[in-house]
Amino acid sequence: MIFVTTGVQMPFDRLICKMDEIAGRIDEEVIMQIGQSQYIPVHAKYFRLMENDKIKKLNRDARVVVSHAGIGSILTALEQHTPVLILPRLKMLGEAWDDHQLEIAAAIASNENVRVVYDVNDLEKHLKVNYCYVPRGGRHALIDSIKEYLSSI
Amino acid sequence: MTEILQIMDAFQGHEIFFITYDGIRSRELQSQFRVYTVPNFIGHAIPFVLSFFRMLYILITERPNAIISTGSEIAIPVFYFAWALGMRTVFIETLARINKPSFTGKMVYPISSLFLVQWEELARRYGKKAKYWGNVF
Repeated sequence: MIFVTTGVQMPFDRLICKMDEIAGRIDEEVIMQIGQSQYIPVHAKYFRLMENDKIKKLNRDARVVVSHAGIGSILTALEQHTPVLILPRLKMLGEAWDDHQLEIAAAIASNENVRVVYDVNDLEKHLKVNYCYVPRGGRHALIDSIKEYLSSI
Repeated sequence: MTEILQIMDAFQGHEIFFITYDGIRSRELQSQFRVYTVPNFIGHAIPFVLSFFRMLYILITERPNAIISTGSEIAIPVFYFAWALGMRTVFIETLARINKPSFTGKMVYPISSLFLVQWEELARRYGKKAKYWGNVF
């Protein structure tokens, strides 16, 4: 299953529309959280908003998550050990108030479990790859340092 | 909230309570932790003032050894009360801030006991006090 997520603040029709088109061509199930997007999917199952528990389960069950470059969405997927493809929202296209998502995309591109796609037409090609979640201990350095600090006070 | 939940292991062995905005996620949190909620006070004058009193009251009765926050603006009044009460505070700037300080970050930077950022570049934007100890990824 492929889980597509856009967050809730602004529409992201570029992603929803393309993923629905792809859903019509592939055998794999596609489920989308469309938020405020205006395009209504015809090939994929969709919903606008859902409780966090259910969102977590969708992230866990997905083979790959396709997301906007929102930190919350990316973290939720990685927390469930699911690789993520991200398409940053662009200010130019009215998808975001600024190009903050481009900065996030550039900064996290070094994470093995995140792939950044800038052109919506490249999504299908990337979805054919069988991604595998690579366990990493990234946050342990931060956790250990805070633990040490707290035990010193 | 997504971010602080990534580092809960850092608080092992300590008694924990949360102060957060009332919402679906805080109600989920209540099944696991002790949670005080305040209504989202931005833009509402009466809840705004009432929330301040409530936060102050929680700090005085709980007397925490440390207050840790990953934002957002709810951290500002809590950190200033804590500062006035001589309590230790740790601010962790959100992972979403890569090279631009957040409003909350700028507000609490001068009074935080420990100020962490999650990208090395951002530490330089803040100043000497900001430290990079890794991120939640």
